[in-house]
Amino acid sequence: MTDLALTGFLGLSAALLGIGLFGILTRRNFILLLIAVEIAMNAAILNFVYFAAFPASGTSGLNGQAIAVVLVGFAATEVAVGLAIVLALNRLKGTINVAQATDLRL
Amino acid sequence: MSLEELAFLALALVAIVTALLALLVRELVHTILWIAIFFVDLSAIYFLLEAPFLGVLQLGVYAGAVTVLLLFGIMLTRKRIFSREAATGIGPVPLALALVTFIFLVSAVGQLPQNELAIQTYDPSALSVNLFGPNGAWLILLGLIMLSGVSGAIYLVREGRD
Repeated sequence: MTDLALTGFLGLSAALLGIGLFGILTRRNFILLLIAVEIAMNAAILNFVYFAAFPASGTSGLNGQAIAVVLVGFAATEVAVGLAIVLALNRLKGTINVAQATDLRL
Repeated sequence: MSLEELAFLALALVAIVTALLALLVRELVHTILWIAIFFVDLSAIYFLLEAPFLGVLQLGVYAGAVTVLLLFGIMLTRKRIFSREAATGIGPVPLALALVTFIFLVSAVGQLPQNELAIQTYDPSALSVNLFGPNGAWLILLGLIMLSGVSGAIYLVREGRD
């Protein structure tokens, strides 16, 4: 059983969300964009795990860990679909620069 | 300062530095290596938060599967694997937006109780009972979304689908 200050984890999570947002806004490469989304998603998952570790008194935080497990699965699916889009985009346009993906249809 | 706090500070520092490096280095393969370290580091943070099941899941799904998937994505989309990205500048507007988000969230953190609390520990078997009991609907939903996601991905990469 360890004791930790409450706020450090939330600060880390906020920082990771900021980094992910920055990556989403600046990068033009589709794979880097996916990585930035993953960083932001991991910040959210970290929050769930954090609040599961420090629940309100008298309650169980186990639901937080359960939702974190489900979110990890969602994120993995998202990467699989994202990479399929990367491959389709590369076959169609010859590049994975999202600035050049101007057609709605893949 | 206790050993746990020291460990957390080190892990948090590594997480932020590797996340930044992953987005800022110009060679995509190096990006994948940095992001792999980031995922392993987050898994260590989950172990620190007494969530061993999630720590192992993070290692298996993120550090294992997602990293390899991203590497495959790079392998299949470029002719030479060590080719540099064109430099994209750090625009002032995205930087300001990210900073404002960070400051906004951290100011909300300041309103939480600041005292040190004991970390609540759970048995991994209790988590599995919770996942297949009260939260079973989420697990089924996850399975359905994964199924539709993967079949959609196969449809997208199929040759000659017109």
